[in-house]
Amino acid sequence: MSQRAVTTPKIELSSIYKAFNLGGRREAVLAGVDIIANAGEFVSIIGPSGCGKSTLLNIIAGLDDADAGIVQMDGDPSSMRLGSIGYMQQKDLLMPWRSVLDNTVLGLELHGLSKKQARLRALDLVETFGLKGFEKQYPLALSGGMRQRAAFLRTMLLDQDVILLDEPFGALDALTRVQMQEWLLELWESMKKTIILITHDVDEAILLSDRVYVLTARPGRVKMVLNIELPRPRDYKSVTTREFTELKSILLTTLHEENSMPAWGKLEETNK
Amino acid sequence: MRQRSSPVTIDRPGDMAGGQSSGLDPADGSSSRGQARGIGRYLVSLKRWAAPLLILIALLGSWELWTQLGDVPKWQLPAPSTIAQELVESRGLLWQHTQVTLLEVALGFVAALIVGLSLASGIAYSRILERSVYPIIIASQTIPIIAIAPLLLIWVGYGLTPKIIVVALIGFFPISVNTVDGLRSVDPDMANMMRTLGASRWQIFTKLQVPSSLPRMFSGIKIGITFSVIGAVIGEWVGASEGLGYLMTYSQPLFLTARVFAAIVVLSAMGIMLFVLATLVERLMLPWYHTEKRARSMERI
Repeated sequence: MSQRAVTTPKIELSSIYKAFNLGGRREAVLAGVDIIANAGEFVSIIGPSGCGKSTLLNIIAGLDDADAGIVQMDGDPSSMRLGSIGYMQQKDLLMPWRSVLDNTVLGLELHGLSKKQARLRALDLVETFGLKGFEKQYPLALSGGMRQRAAFLRTMLLDQDVILLDEPFGALDALTRVQMQEWLLELWESMKKTIILITHDVDEAILLSDRVYVLTARPGRVKMVLNIELPRPRDYKSVTTREFTELKSILLTTLHEENSMPAWGKLEETNK
Repeated sequence: MRQRSSPVTIDRPGDMAGGQSSGLDPADGSSSRGQARGIGRYLVSLKRWAAPLLILIALLGSWELWTQLGDVPKWQLPAPSTIAQELVESRGLLWQHTQVTLLEVALGFVAALIVGLSLASGIAYSRILERSVYPIIIASQTIPIIAIAPLLLIWVGYGLTPKIIVVALIGFFPISVNTVDGLRSVDPDMANMMRTLGASRWQIFTKLQVPSSLPRMFSGIKIGITFSVIGAVIGEWVGASEGLGYLMTYSQPLFLTARVFAAIVVLSAMGIMLFVLATLVERLMLPWYHTEKRARSMERI
């Protein structure tokens, strides 16, 4: 938040459009989305189901192309983003034939590091990621939270400046989710990476972010930008403060206008 | 009947693999019953094998009775006991020919493996190969191999080579088809995940497609290795001077029917052994796959 006026944004999306062929007809998914994430910022994107949030992340990551609009990284619209932006999806996507440790070093391995060197580097972080003692296990033997942390470590080990998180905690139970949010906060505060998070969880968005973008229902565009100026470091106690509650009610009201479904804290994701 | 059996079963290699592995894979059933341990586990597997064993014993028993009581001549249909006796008495002869057939199977299977896996990799990696070569491979399976075998004698002569070729021709197909299926059925999200980590097409192939295809590849190998035994026998029938297939064609006109049966018993024992061997190699190579299978079947309960 601090350096935003002067420096070039880390990631800047300008009027992103995207349409898909759905059942024979062309359906607009994104209709002019503008989003900025400065270096070291934590930005969340929140919106009703099917508003194209995952498509948006795919475009930022370079997995998919926008029909129109510009994506700039460090002010460069033609930068090679695929491979230089970390992307963690809701599914942990751990390879069942690799041990936990070997899963986490996948990125390093792809960049030409020997398995031995890569493992050494991962072992330094295994404790931070709460995986100590489970390095040699196959992913199947792990709990959901642990698998998610292993996927996190795999994403973080490459040391990419920008990390995209697509509902990383969506599949976890409420208690584990809270623990993981606090853990992510700590991690982010020490690593100073730019994070763009997609979430359905209003509490999660406010607790973690410097700025929250609310998208409209399909076709998605930015309905509101909300700066979260709560003091940091934050932890789960921040949720009960008056400022937090006010921000929450603003977000919920805005979301309510966009979605006819009455369940708020966590909306169902249908496009998975 | 034999020449027809290959295209028919080959049509649905996946199904066949499933049927075979659940039939001959004792760990499948015992694990699906959860944490059976010690005596409990032993009882469970006993229970599992009891029914097929009883049926087998009943069949052999009525066969024995039928031949004994009905005074069926030995050259027409020998009793199981006569066949067992023959197995013991001719063990030297049988062993000698078994070694020859086993060598043909081994060499032919290795050839099938090399050809099958190379074709599968090419087909899965290159769209051009998939469109051009794959249909031909599938169509080639309508050619009865037993009809080609005599031609091989004209082209490459007698000896080991034509047998290896027949075994390879029969064995490569289930291996390549199953491996192609395995290489193709990759989680697209996982491929995308690798691309965001900077993976090249080749790295996605070697580090994602190949390992995730291994279970299917082993299904193909298990079918292929069983077919290889049939291939060797066909090769020997057409023209050979040694091997169990030769022993059968040699003994049949002399009405040494018990010996023909003995050779059949040895051949099927060989097939079962090779299948079990392939299963063991699979377990050693894919420990994760069996943990996963066990965990899945526990979830089902």
